[in-house]
Amino acid sequence: MALLSASFAPADRRRGVRRVAEAAILASALLLVRGAGLAGQTVQAPEYQVKAVFLFNFAQFVDWPAAAFADSATPLVIGVLGDDPFEGFLDQTIRREQVRGRGFQVQRYHNVGEIKTCHILFISRATGARLDEVLANLRNRPILTVSDDAGFAERGGMIRFVTDQHRIRLQINLGAAQAASLTVSSKLLRVADIVTPRGR
Amino acid sequence: MADVRTVAAPTAMLFTLGLVCFTEPGFAQQPDTSAQRPDSTLSAEALKKLSIEQLMNLQVTSVSKRPERLSQTASAIQVITRDDMRRSGASSLPEVLRLATNLQVAQVDARQWAISARGFNSTTANKLLVLIDGRTAYTPLFSGVFWDVQEVPLTDVDRIEVISGPGATLWGANAVNGVINVITQGAKQTQGLLLSGGGGTEQRAFGTVRYGGALGSSVRYRIYGRGFGREATALPSGQDAADDWHLGQGGFRMDWDASNVNRVTLQGDLYDGRIAQRSAGDITVGGGNVMAKWSYTISDRSSLAAQLYYDRTHRHIPGTFGEDLDTYDVDLQHRARLGVRHDVVWGLGYRLSNDRVANSSALAFLPPQVARQWFTGFVQDEIALVPNRLHVALGSKIEHNDYTGFEIQPSGRVNWGLSPSGTLWAAVSRALRTPSRIDRELFAPAQPPYFLAGGPGFHSEAELAYELGYRHQQGSLALSVATFYSRYYGLRSLEQVNPPAASPLVIGNGQDGESFGAEVTAEYWLTNRWRMRAGYTELRVHVWPKPGSTDTSRGAAESHTPDRQFFLQSSVALPAHLGFDAGFRAIDDITNQQVPAYAELNAKLAWQPSSKLDLSLVGQNLLHRRHAEFGAPAARRDIERGVYGAVEWRF
Repeated sequence: MALLSASFAPADRRRGVRRVAEAAILASALLLVRGAGLAGQTVQAPEYQVKAVFLFNFAQFVDWPAAAFADSATPLVIGVLGDDPFEGFLDQTIRREQVRGRGFQVQRYHNVGEIKTCHILFISRATGARLDEVLANLRNRPILTVSDDAGFAERGGMIRFVTDQHRIRLQINLGAAQAASLTVSSKLLRVADIVTPRGR
Repeated sequence: MADVRTVAAPTAMLFTLGLVCFTEPGFAQQPDTSAQRPDSTLSAEALKKLSIEQLMNLQVTSVSKRPERLSQTASAIQVITRDDMRRSGASSLPEVLRLATNLQVAQVDARQWAISARGFNSTTANKLLVLIDGRTAYTPLFSGVFWDVQEVPLTDVDRIEVISGPGATLWGANAVNGVINVITQGAKQTQGLLLSGGGGTEQRAFGTVRYGGALGSSVRYRIYGRGFGREATALPSGQDAADDWHLGQGGFRMDWDASNVNRVTLQGDLYDGRIAQRSAGDITVGGGNVMAKWSYTISDRSSLAAQLYYDRTHRHIPGTFGEDLDTYDVDLQHRARLGVRHDVVWGLGYRLSNDRVANSSALAFLPPQVARQWFTGFVQDEIALVPNRLHVALGSKIEHNDYTGFEIQPSGRVNWGLSPSGTLWAAVSRALRTPSRIDRELFAPAQPPYFLAGGPGFHSEAELAYELGYRHQQGSLALSVATFYSRYYGLRSLEQVNPPAASPLVIGNGQDGESFGAEVTAEYWLTNRWRMRAGYTELRVHVWPKPGSTDTSRGAAESHTPDRQFFLQSSVALPAHLGFDAGFRAIDDITNQQVPAYAELNAKLAWQPSSKLDLSLVGQNLLHRRHAEFGAPAARRDIERGVYGAVEWRF
């Protein structure tokens, strides 16, 4: 027991230590004053800004069949179906970006019938009850479907953003992606939770 | 000792100023597009540079949810993520804790660790609270932790929150200088089969089997079993210290989403181990715990959580002592937002422990068996003076224990968002270390005449802590500085009953003390594949006798702490699914134990040929064949260089 092994230590250091503590506190106050005058950016990134960057990244981790693009100049289209929660972050993220020589384009849709050429589709939560209908309409089309909706991947969607402890995790329904002839990179699969819909 | 104060003040100044210079380039990088959307354009660019893993590790804020509670943000908190743990190659919980640079972590021998925050470190460190999924790992024997039986399977851990500084208002009576909060993943995150194993020189052999499945649509579970054998450390002479050991452990967790607003978790573990001793028979350890948790979301603004657990632990150290401890604990917590400005959390708790000690002739806890009860209540109101800019939290814990009756531990915290990237925080807290059995009931030898005759008058040690910190995050740089000054009243002492007669001694509160210092951490992504982390802690602890005390040890029995420590970690994702990580640490000497300063390096090379398979090679303490980290010269053990390989499959 440490208690029993008491020994003897050097002389008193008490005096002046408070001065040192004060100096340390003062010094960090100095740092703060310095920091306060400088404009910065977000400490924690806004949720939909991060999600916009995820969508952008998906373009690099998913391979579409050649038929998904009319020609080599066809941009990679990221669509938003329903209310747009991105507040411009999505447009900002893809501005001037390219993936495999293609530019990006953002499209917004009110209903699923409007969707013609689209590669990544974010389905807004507001779509809610109509989700099954939307997914049925898109089934087996080479469109990577993404949503925040609970149960999205189980219901036949491909990627769901799960916000857990203020961090975003991914759930991937690999079967749905494969059925749509999309190839998802192992880099993405490695960090995602793979979801297998019930009844399969 | 004039050098201490003359050197410390300029040092503190210098490194703080150094940090200012260090952060400068980050500020200068702002592009002119920022005029349009000053707070987000830049980060859109910065975010795009991050890898998927990094994005997943980012804290996101949403309008409806506040990112964290102030009680955490207005404190020196460090979070060890899953990724950090995986990359470190650490094989046990204490080793992982080295990643929290605001802790003092020293390996004592093959099984024992001395872990503390803000000083007062020893093998029986008593000012740090350790929680594993809300269950306290505290032993009422000495208010500390037996680290050899806290072998949480690291593959299951989601994150570890480490707070240095008092956390007593919300957390509990042991949280004088810090809180370690180990949080495991939900069963949903551990579905499927996992097999892992490996072996090497010091980590002789280890293996884990885990299976996660579902029962219906709303219940997920996992079960696991694991075992390991660890090699002995060395005596200073180089001879084998014969403290090799092995432990087997199994457990389960079941999460039931009973409805959208009701969640229930059941979990438990069982363990059994055997540790060799040089001069006597093997130490045996064993025990288990079972825990039920229920959380209920009453509304958007209000939620309730309750937990109940039972923990049993057994330890028999031939020739020294044996202990059987049963702990029963129930806690209730309610959180409610009131109006637009108040976020109130309050709770009640009750704990009963029944401790039975088998005494030896050398020392005795008298009486051998005691049952002790603790009643706790706490309330904290977080007030948004300027919402999302300036928040104040005021709260207090009220505890009743069988030794000292009612105790009050209040705290006040302020969090001030200077800019979207920088936060200043400050706190004043009172925290107590309430008596444990060792303070009141330890006698040596076991029969009179006693050399040490308990501590009948021992009361709580009290601390008054002042903290000031700053956190900054900009693009790929995150920086945190925490400074503190703490004053301690009535620290444990050994008092002569009939001075100048050296014996008998009783345990008293004859010492006062203070500690001060700064903890600095920085994390920087050089590229989206290469992360550097650095941590530096400067710390002084001074203890002196109160008038009338006969204890002249000046805290030599209470605190064994290096004055400074430095950490540097590099994590690189290489092509071909390779990853290389290195962690360097330099720890100053522990003066009152004559443990020399040392520097060591751990490294891990990992290969992930597919998403289901991980292969890794880990080197631990590579710089020296052996080195000592802790302990008086006579009892010291040397930690040896180790290498091990590991494989992990997931199906």
